[in-house]
Amino acid sequence: MGDRLKLGVVGAGAVLERYHIAAINAVPEVVRTIVIDADADRARRVAERYNFPKWSTDVAALVRQADLAVVLVPNGLHASVSCELLGQGIHVLCEKPMARNVDECLTMIDAARRGNAQLCIGHNRRFQQHMKLAKRLLAKGLIGDIVGVQAEEGSIHDWPRSPAYFDPVLSGGGALLDVGIHAIDLIRWFAGEFDRIEYQGNGTATTVESDAKLSFSLANGAKGSVAASHTRGLSQKLTLIGSEGFLEIGLWYPHVGIRSAKGKAFQNFYRLDAAVPRRPPLDGSFVDQLRNLVAAVRGELEVLVNGYEGMAAVEVVRRAYTGQAEPSMRNIKS
Amino acid sequence: MGFPEMSSPQRKVSAVRVEDHAQLASGFRLGLQQLPGLLPKTLPRQVVIKPNLCDISPWETGVTTDPRWVCVVAAELRAIRPDVEIRLVESDAISAYKTYRSCEETFDRLGFAAAACEAGVELVNLSRSDAIEIRLDGIPQPVRIPQLLLEEMYFVSIANLKLHGYTRMTGILKNSMGLLTDAEISSLHPYLSILISRLHKLCSPDLCILDGRVGLEGGGPIIGRPVPTNTLLIGNDALSVDEASCRLMGIPPKQVAHLRQAAKDLERRLGKCEIVGDLRPRTFVFDDLRSHPAVQSKFGNRRRHQRMESISNRWIDRAYRFRDDPLTFAKEAIPKLLGGRRGR
Repeated sequence: MGDRLKLGVVGAGAVLERYHIAAINAVPEVVRTIVIDADADRARRVAERYNFPKWSTDVAALVRQADLAVVLVPNGLHASVSCELLGQGIHVLCEKPMARNVDECLTMIDAARRGNAQLCIGHNRRFQQHMKLAKRLLAKGLIGDIVGVQAEEGSIHDWPRSPAYFDPVLSGGGALLDVGIHAIDLIRWFAGEFDRIEYQGNGTATTVESDAKLSFSLANGAKGSVAASHTRGLSQKLTLIGSEGFLEIGLWYPHVGIRSAKGKAFQNFYRLDAAVPRRPPLDGSFVDQLRNLVAAVRGELEVLVNGYEGMAAVEVVRRAYTGQAEPSMRNIKS
Repeated sequence: MGFPEMSSPQRKVSAVRVEDHAQLASGFRLGLQQLPGLLPKTLPRQVVIKPNLCDISPWETGVTTDPRWVCVVAAELRAIRPDVEIRLVESDAISAYKTYRSCEETFDRLGFAAAACEAGVELVNLSRSDAIEIRLDGIPQPVRIPQLLLEEMYFVSIANLKLHGYTRMTGILKNSMGLLTDAEISSLHPYLSILISRLHKLCSPDLCILDGRVGLEGGGPIIGRPVPTNTLLIGNDALSVDEASCRLMGIPPKQVAHLRQAAKDLERRLGKCEIVGDLRPRTFVFDDLRSHPAVQSKFGNRRRHQRMESISNRWIDRAYRFRDDPLTFAKEAIPKLLGGRRGR
């Protein structure tokens, strides 16, 4: 393997253009080689526009061209595409959600193990600067023990979506899987594993839910809720309530509101608002996410969001959809 | 117009004469005895001490804090709680010569490294510690403060008795500027009085020690002549201690913009602090910086820059006062204009 990793992209849709292209541009350790899309016109257009030397409609073409693949296909194809690549030793950065269900996730993890390849799941928010700040503040015990969690994220979605996006079988789920999984992943990262859950959503057998609410308790006893919507503008924030304060973390904006009852700075201020500057490109988390995978491929770091982490978030959503309140006895990390 | 004033023991300031520098510890103890209740009965596990280390001039010049304070204060605090963790903090600085100076160098050259080692105190360079950017009301840009301030602590501020070119005087309130972790803070100078007041609100000292054994008159805060005033001022309230230091230097507190701002933010009146002990005021001579040979030779451009900042500070201050209370502002301004008196 040369100094620079050869990178291919599978899926040339809006996610690539909105987020990942800027990240690929910003990581000099990778060199772009090929873009794959089922739509030949789109693959060609994106390849020309973003300087990919080659394009194809066949995933197999990527195996010969790249060391690393960014998988940006619809949810229903995450597992099949990733497994094909991982099994042949191609390292994969797969967009969230990892897959539609836990069985698909396990297949991906197994393929990565067989191909001796790195698998990274695109829960990019863990890489955002203000999320890292919140994590550090929590580690310092600034707000004491977490006793409550509230997350809200939702807007009237205005993205170009394929019909498969609204099909429960092809997409695997609606607002909770698409939007709420970010909050679920962050809650696991900040506060620990989910315990008992209770789900409300307006999905049917033929269409995915546009609004979802997940009430839960965590393994540490904290209680909370996640609201996700594709039809309503919500507060776009995650609030962690501790025994000695709270953290209010922006899910869309780089903002952390802090309150620590015993803290010196809070003798005269009820709360402080941390301003975390965004650095270009607009959201540096995608850059850091790709860097993390590159460093993992080079053996310098561990992948922050590996297959098990991605699967744990999918497992929570699956339990919500199937009405399984209690966690399964299966230890998913074994 | 005005706020009701209440007699509060925290607003009293203990003043002690210390003629012999070797008697620092006994002088400090006497100051504490003069005003019982200055030290708390219990302490949190963490204590933070902020000296004034704005330069590498030795303490005898009146510019910086005497390193002996580290042992003196640590001993008093450990008598209350033996397992207390004491940290002495300061930030990197851009000197008047516009050169960068690391805080470690300052600690080392001024004898704080040795004193901290002797007293079992940890030295912390705030510029290299975890920081957080926050927005403060009235300051247009975020300021970087150490994450240390978010934690529970007992805060001791040790400042010097000095004149200052921008703010007229420095003291306990101005000492908090060193809590900002960025070395280059000149962009904040136009908002200096508001920033100082907000920082005081953010991290008000629990114990204020103003070491006035050697004061500094002249241009300040690093240029000037040492003046032996042989006085320690100790209190719990930073504004009161700064007011007392104004009295000691012969400066009307109302002439100091950041004291006015802090008093306003705290809804208090200036000139109401009560001094317990022996305070012998004298008049510190404020030099016109233009006549200073060092300034002439080394601060040509900086002098003009400073002058412009000083003028803009004054006008910003006036604008704020006018915005907040136009009637009072007009009442104060009109006689000055008619009488041809200058504000400073």
